[in-house]
Amino acid sequence: MKFVAVIRQVPDGESRLRIQGDRVDLSGATLILDQMDEYGVEEALRLKEKHGGEAIVVGFGPERTEEAIRTALAMGMDRGIHVVYEGYADPVTVAEALAPILKEESPTLILTGGQQADWDSQALGGALAEALGVPVVAWTTALELEGETARAKHDLDEGAEWVRVRLPAVFTTQQGLNEPRYPTLPGIMKAKKKEIKKVAFQGASRVEILQESIQEKTRLQKILDGKDPVAAAEELVRLLHEEAKVI
Amino acid sequence: MPIDFSLTEEQRQLQALARRFAKEVILPVAQEYDEKEEVPWPVIEKLHEVGLLNAIIPEEYGGMGLKMLDEVIVGEELAYACMGIYTIPMASDLGITPVLLAGNEEQKRRFLKPLTEKPALAAFALSEPGNGSDAAALKTRAVRQGDYYILNGTKMWISNGGEAEWVVVFATLNPELRHKGVVALVVEKGTPGFRAVKIHGKMGQRASGTYELIFEDVKVPVQNRLGEEGEGFKIAMNTLNKTRIPVAAGSVGVARRALDEAKKYAKEREAFGQPIANFQAIQFKLADMMIGIETARMYTYYAAWLADQGLPHAHASAIAKAYASEIAFEAANQAIQIHGGYGYVREFPVEKLLRDVKLNQIYEGTNEIQRLIIARHLLAE
Repeated sequence: MKFVAVIRQVPDGESRLRIQGDRVDLSGATLILDQMDEYGVEEALRLKEKHGGEAIVVGFGPERTEEAIRTALAMGMDRGIHVVYEGYADPVTVAEALAPILKEESPTLILTGGQQADWDSQALGGALAEALGVPVVAWTTALELEGETARAKHDLDEGAEWVRVRLPAVFTTQQGLNEPRYPTLPGIMKAKKKEIKKVAFQGASRVEILQESIQEKTRLQKILDGKDPVAAAEELVRLLHEEAKVI
Repeated sequence: MPIDFSLTEEQRQLQALARRFAKEVILPVAQEYDEKEEVPWPVIEKLHEVGLLNAIIPEEYGGMGLKMLDEVIVGEELAYACMGIYTIPMASDLGITPVLLAGNEEQKRRFLKPLTEKPALAAFALSEPGNGSDAAALKTRAVRQGDYYILNGTKMWISNGGEAEWVVVFATLNPELRHKGVVALVVEKGTPGFRAVKIHGKMGQRASGTYELIFEDVKVPVQNRLGEEGEGFKIAMNTLNKTRIPVAAGSVGVARRALDEAKKYAKEREAFGQPIANFQAIQFKLADMMIGIETARMYTYYAAWLADQGLPHAHASAIAKAYASEIAFEAANQAIQIHGGYGYVREFPVEKLLRDVKLNQIYEGTNEIQRLIIARHLLAE
């Protein structure tokens, strides 16, 4: 069996991003293995531990993406493939770039994060499935192999459902699927000896970014003075219920 | 290219692992164990799981063979979350180092391998109730009787002393010989006549267990002696020349935390209609912290690099330890000052930084002793 996790390297959620010349400047940001993709790496490792076979990490992105691939190798993935491309590429282009490599590997299944922390598109899983001509199960929270097929649970807006799908298939991952392990120190040491195959992507993104900006979040500045505590509490509950819609 | 400040790919991964571990495993429990004055075993177990415990043990004995530079990278990250908790693995390395420096093949296999197979600690016992800085004046006696040494005496302020699988104990065969009469003996946990009594009421670093060790007619096999009779003092000093470097790294971690907390607070807290970070009085404090952190880290790396190159490093480790612990104490002090009254209560993390890092100016050789080492080095030239 062969389990593939497709990963990206993204800025840490706590990094402060700046705009420099209409572009996001990542020079001061800490770049990490996308946390959504970590669930995919963990699931590939668990499937391998349970069923045997090989776990492969496939990354798309600039040279620095190798660091994220090494993190996945340090978590325990057996080997890596890095499709090198500097600059932005839209998810459909990424999927087309990865498709020939994935076809050649012919894996049992492919896992990738339900969404991407950088250019949040939620499209890569679906685009990969389309490019490979296989089914996709999105937002997976449980996954079981049963021979030629797999059973998977996936979240809906206000519920969940179990589905059965013929393999190979693409599963997009999210919180709740598992608890990703740490890349241990022995893992880090072993990772440096593991193979990362480099493939250059010769194509070009179909979508071009013209300008990037950071969303300004403005506060509503509503202050309840509380001179009448009962009225203030009622008003607070009303605002939380009707406007903020959190209760 | 003779000078290179970049970290290797593995060192960056190691740093990321330690940073994540500190944030997710240590930070959430630091205050709790500080209050309880209790050793956080779940944290020690997890340190073992990810391979960060006793990682300086070479690969041939089951360890990871971490170099000093790797160790200081990890140390800064762990101490950022809690200096007291970081002292536990750090003091274990302090116990391991004499075995690495002076142990024979059989001893390394016998003592080091078990520390890589389960969450387990080592300890180092030099100070006594009546002497610390004057280490050659130790009174714990070892008397040779056939294949054993009979050990009698008391050791004081021993980190991990009650938890350790074994303790390297420095004893004298003849007090008149001073440093020339010292022997280093490995005393295993559970050896009859050996007791550890926990010291309570510490100001800081309360998550690390500190003990008084009592030896009453303890029979230690001659096979547990590190090096020769009379070499004990040299082994102790060579050990401390190395292990002071992680103390410096821990201090840098505490200082970085103090700056982060102070910066965060200064941007949120308002006075005279604006965030206090707008005032130069606050900005200068923050800038001074930054100066301290950057210079202490660079020098700590340098001392670690010397140790890894096998070059003389006694004076460099002394400079790193004294300097880093002093800038860290000052950073913690100023972080409290910036917090005002809030800095003085436990709801905010900065008072703990000061309590914890005070010890960095005392243990593994007081900063006064560090200055003696530095002065001897410069006057000998």
